[in-house]
Amino acid sequence: MTVRRRGLMGGALLGAGAASNFLRAGDALAQGVQPRRGGTLQSILTPEPPILQIGVNNQGPTLIVAPKMFEGLLTFTPTLEPIPVLATSWTISPDNKEFVFKLRENVTWHDGRPFTAEDVIFSVMKFHMEVAPRARAIFSLIETAEAPDPHTVRFVLKQSFQPFLLMFDATACAMVAKHLFDGQDYRTAPAVQRPVGTGPFRFAEWQRGNFIRLERNPTYWQEGKPYLDNIIYRIVPDSQSRRLALESGQVQLTSASDIEPFDVPAMRSRPNLEVSTQGWEYFSPLSWVELNHRVAPLGDARVRQAMSLAIDRNFIAQRLWFGIGKPATNPVASTTRFFDRSVALPAHNIREANALLDAAGHRPNAQGVRFTLKHLVLPYGEVWSRLAEYLRQSLRQVGIALELESTDAGSWARRIGNWEYETSVNFVYQFGDPTLGVERTYVSSNIQKVTFTNTGGYSNPEVDELFAQARTASTAAERQTAFTAVQRILVRDVPQIWLMEMAFPTISDKRLRNVITTGLGVHTNFADVFLAS
Amino acid sequence: MRDFWRRYRRNKGAVVGLALLLLVFALAAAAPLLFPGSPWDMAGAPFLPPGEMGMLLGTDSLGRDVAAGIAHGARISLMVGAVSTIFALGVGVSLGAIAGYLGGFADDLVMRFTEFFQTIPSFVLAILLVAIFTPSITSVIAAIAIVSWPPVARVVRAEFLSLRGREFVQAAEVLGKSRLSIVVGDILPNALSPIIVLASLMVASAILLESALSFLGLGDPNLMTWGFLIGSGRSVIRLAWWMSVFPGLAIFVTVLSLNLVGEGLSDALNPRLARQRGGAA
Amino acid sequence: MEASRLPGFLARRVVKSVLVVLAIVVCNFLLVHAAPGDPASVMAGQSGAADPLFLEQLRRQFGLDQPFHIQLWVYLKSVLSLDLGFSHRQQAPVAQLIAERLPATLLLTGAAFIFAVGGGVALGALAARRVGSWADSAITALALTFYATPLFWVGLMLVLVFSVWLEWLPSFGMSSVGVELHGMAVVWDVAQHLLLPALTLGLFYLAVYARLTRATMLEVADQDFVKTARAKGVPEGRITRAHILRNALLPVITFAGIQAGQLVGGSILVETVFAWPGIGRLAFEALLARDYPVLLGVFFCTSVIVVLFNLATDLLYAVIDPRVEVG
Repeated sequence: MTVRRRGLMGGALLGAGAASNFLRAGDALAQGVQPRRGGTLQSILTPEPPILQIGVNNQGPTLIVAPKMFEGLLTFTPTLEPIPVLATSWTISPDNKEFVFKLRENVTWHDGRPFTAEDVIFSVMKFHMEVAPRARAIFSLIETAEAPDPHTVRFVLKQSFQPFLLMFDATACAMVAKHLFDGQDYRTAPAVQRPVGTGPFRFAEWQRGNFIRLERNPTYWQEGKPYLDNIIYRIVPDSQSRRLALESGQVQLTSASDIEPFDVPAMRSRPNLEVSTQGWEYFSPLSWVELNHRVAPLGDARVRQAMSLAIDRNFIAQRLWFGIGKPATNPVASTTRFFDRSVALPAHNIREANALLDAAGHRPNAQGVRFTLKHLVLPYGEVWSRLAEYLRQSLRQVGIALELESTDAGSWARRIGNWEYETSVNFVYQFGDPTLGVERTYVSSNIQKVTFTNTGGYSNPEVDELFAQARTASTAAERQTAFTAVQRILVRDVPQIWLMEMAFPTISDKRLRNVITTGLGVHTNFADVFLAS
Repeated sequence: MRDFWRRYRRNKGAVVGLALLLLVFALAAAAPLLFPGSPWDMAGAPFLPPGEMGMLLGTDSLGRDVAAGIAHGARISLMVGAVSTIFALGVGVSLGAIAGYLGGFADDLVMRFTEFFQTIPSFVLAILLVAIFTPSITSVIAAIAIVSWPPVARVVRAEFLSLRGREFVQAAEVLGKSRLSIVVGDILPNALSPIIVLASLMVASAILLESALSFLGLGDPNLMTWGFLIGSGRSVIRLAWWMSVFPGLAIFVTVLSLNLVGEGLSDALNPRLARQRGGAA
Repeated sequence: MEASRLPGFLARRVVKSVLVVLAIVVCNFLLVHAAPGDPASVMAGQSGAADPLFLEQLRRQFGLDQPFHIQLWVYLKSVLSLDLGFSHRQQAPVAQLIAERLPATLLLTGAAFIFAVGGGVALGALAARRVGSWADSAITALALTFYATPLFWVGLMLVLVFSVWLEWLPSFGMSSVGVELHGMAVVWDVAQHLLLPALTLGLFYLAVYARLTRATMLEVADQDFVKTARAKGVPEGRITRAHILRNALLPVITFAGIQAGQLVGGSILVETVFAWPGIGRLAFEALLARDYPVLLGVFFCTSVIVVLFNLATDLLYAVIDPRVEVG
């Protein structure tokens, strides 16, 4: 499914007119089918999230369910242009320091109270600032936040920060009701158990281990929407049961990791199902072999280059992921802003890999082993175990013995965070902009004993400098120059061995329309989704 | 010995079981000859059905030979079964002997301890142990041994209790033999029969336990085991039934043969209870 | 047994059971805390980004900054007041989480247990009555087969046959969601969902009970009092019912007590295969996420169930066997 952008320009000039254009574009996707009111959408959620209060919990499943109930000021097209949601328009000063949002009027919370600028300021400056580390890192750049009137919010930043708008999607900064949280412990407030947002669906019931049901919000601000009466997310821990549920029509929608990659070809061939890998452009997850540079000989760029050459990314994309996602070429995913397609990793080449290892002084012993490395298997499911097994066999071909260690999600995160690993696999969301999602892995100021920082310990002053330039530059052109330069250096140094631009299949019953209309795919509010008869 | 074999032979199932078990052993021994190279090698196209392109039992999702996996897996499964049983026997026999021979407070203490271990859901305990000490061949074997010893302790204690009062033990005590040498030299040999029978059944349940752990993703990632094969084939069962059917059959045949052999041993070693078939451990 | 001795017996058993439960609580606590990794780092990892401040907040919340013995003491005290703690990961009291899941597990294990004991004893008795007949051989062979087949494998095969090929039964879940059902329709719906998992969990134990019943019945049949009864001309059917089966049930009951814990363990596998929303799956998920309060709570809960069950089998034993020395 593709989304045509009509009348969508850069964020700075966008107004309400363009917005309704986009929404009409969404409707047009149904190809002349009149949207139908009513019906229950049954979907699947894997694994069951602990809580649905976005911000307090930001795991994948929460990011799917919560945006039906909570909305952000904006959302984004597949090419990462902003779309108005709770903000109708905004203006940005030329130096990218001042951001003024005009808020939609007549929006109410599910409990009937009106949504105002106070809620926005509370959500940004207090709620997400406290509970969400990623938001805190960005929002601490805000110098002043004020509400000149109940439907206008003005943020002034301490420095130029072009990617600021990207933080206002529901998945990054959902608007929460000030009157339900202010003065309480945000993590244990009663509202955490019964989420209250402004979205098209309200929380209805949750039978733990069984299902979550959301019901239509009759007072939603978009007249006549949402179309669906209910959305039910069933909790099905077994992947084959999930596939059966989809095939038998018990559920009409699966997303993320619900369906294993090897089952996708069979799903594609079913006439009643539609398979799409769109809708992950905002997140653009990139996977890589995570290397700990403190472990000899991984500090040697030649060794890392050789390991990179020994891995056949096409095999991984085709055989392990069955063509879902594509080989990575660069530390920046091709769907992320400022990706430079002219900078690419060299292709699979065993001979060259061997030559590099020889040159680095690692001679094979009698068994043909140059050195042995431990590999912490990413505990996110079967396909990742297969990947580890593939890596072990392919690195063995160039004389590197990989010894697998399996672990649970908790130990994995702890050991990566404490640098207690030699190699592993990791995948990380890029959030649309290298400053938001790429920089953190490579700059030496972010070498921390915390997961999803620069845990590998790569340090290069040139790279630090270029990322810093790109972060504060006020024009896109300046940022592109810096990012292109940094991509060149990183592809030469291979601090981490990038594997795949990940994608996840969204599989839906063909009667279900408008599922993927934005760059966030199933992580949007589903106000436009309907079941055709 | 000939007498033993004569009695064993009378149980036809046991003879079949022995033949099957020998076959499994032969497969394990011949694995490196039949399938040289690593069972992890991507030898062919993925998802080849059995018989195609020289792959007797088909290939898995990465094109690895299922037959090679089963042959190499036999070594590991048997090894896990045997080693964990040896450790469980070590613990169980020691505790059972202490309890049965010393009696009194020691008996009470050991039996409470044993009961305690039997009360904890053993599979849950095994999962917990493997997860805590991270899945590896050592932790898997240790976990299986830790949850398997209580029945041994009970059986050995019962045997020792009944043998303790016999004349040959009293005679040995009068002769001034040390307690240890009485326990090891006099009583234990007479208590061996039920231990041997129990051991064969324990190997069987250890193999089942290992496969269940691997099924839940708690196996050693560096070793090819039957449990791993089923675990990896399970989610593609409708795409490639052979990936989980054949390793499942391998487990079934091995566990079955061990059970049959256990019954045969029980018949042969304990003629009085020749008709008893209650081998549940 | 004499009625007057029963209360004393009961009191001793209850005291012993409480001690066992306490020991289990302490043991589990020690075991789980021996685990590497703490819940804070897990949550931080799963939320996609983390900073030291966030980790510190979480650790404080979990009480992980407290000394070890204080954590244990706090836990013991709260368990004694039946407060199983609070799962910060699930943002809900542990007792509530378990209470939500417990009925499903009790239903599954209960159904499997009744099926296993009922079917096992019946098959075992049948086989023992006709030793050497084809029925005996068939039952023995069947019992051996199920005994030697991995539990999860049976589950997969049943799904393959009854859900995928024949499309007779649902393959997962406990009820159909999204359809409005009332009265008997609900019972029927749950029963359909229950059939395959209960069968899977029950078949292995059915094999165990069949073998056990057959073996003990044959043993009892050899004993003098049975021979005497037979010599006195008591009809064979009555001998089987009144003498052999009754005595043969004793080891079955003992075994059932021991087996209660195994059944809970087996339910983890079955609940995973069939997406059954019980505590077995809750425990496994909690383990993978290092959700200590939930894990501790589940272990406490299962051990209480097992101990209660053992208590019940002890009593039953005393009732069935008048000779038994209670205490």
